[in-house]
Amino acid sequence: MEVLIGTISGIISGTGMGGGTVLIFLLGQILGVDHHIAQAANLIFFIPTSIVAIIVNIKNKNIDLKLAMQISILGIIGAVIGAKLAVYTDVNSLKKYFGYFLLIIAIYEIYTLFKKHKK
Amino acid sequence: MKIVYYKNLKLKNHINLYDSFLFIKIQFVHNKNMVKKVIIGLSAGFVSGFFATGGGMVLVPAFTFLNLSTQRARGTAIFCILPMVITSSIFYYKSNYIDWKISILCAVGGSIGGYIGAKLLKKLPEIVLKITFILFLIYIAFRIII
Repeated sequence: MEVLIGTISGIISGTGMGGGTVLIFLLGQILGVDHHIAQAANLIFFIPTSIVAIIVNIKNKNIDLKLAMQISILGIIGAVIGAKLAVYTDVNSLKKYFGYFLLIIAIYEIYTLFKKHKK
Repeated sequence: MKIVYYKNLKLKNHINLYDSFLFIKIQFVHNKNMVKKVIIGLSAGFVSGFFATGGGMVLVPAFTFLNLSTQRARGTAIFCILPMVITSSIFYYKSNYIDWKISILCAVGGSIGGYIGAKLLKKLPEIVLKITFILFLIYIAFRIII
């Protein structure tokens, strides 16, 4: 079952959309996994997939290394803050924030869709 | 453009008022970009630490905003997210939130799925993918909130 969920999320990730959100949702809904654990599973899930993607991208010279370094360093600081907060937030509120976050992304995606269509 | 102005400025022995105005403007533009980068980096890190996902959804549009092509933005975003994910994993690990069995099984499925997805991407039109994704997001969001 876990493999199947992983495969579905992988397909969605491969098409360039948030596979992680799907993974977290499916783990929570179908297997009844705790939200924190589902989030952590998504983190581990991301590491091998992204390493492959990075190698491909470096070969194709699709990475702006200077910018990547700057953003990475700042990102690590942000990640420390975010992860610490997430660990101390209780499950139900974390889930709620997650839902709101998804809504914001959905709204943003709708906005870009309209913008593209106008062009 | 910016660099050209800057170089011209350095070549001159004597800087008049207009040039110094330009210089201040250049500095300002430069700093503004730096501020943008700081905001982008910190918020992307926060999102990927707190929600364990979505760093890419912040970074890709942000990078296109910094005048990177979509493809380059995606490549750079993945590169940036990896250290953030590793950092947050450490914190989740310390709090015993990592279930190795689930994670590894999902990762196995994920590699298979990722391969299929990348192939599928070439076949399906983008607009269909986007609309499906949006509907899906809204559905999930409401299921979780309510």
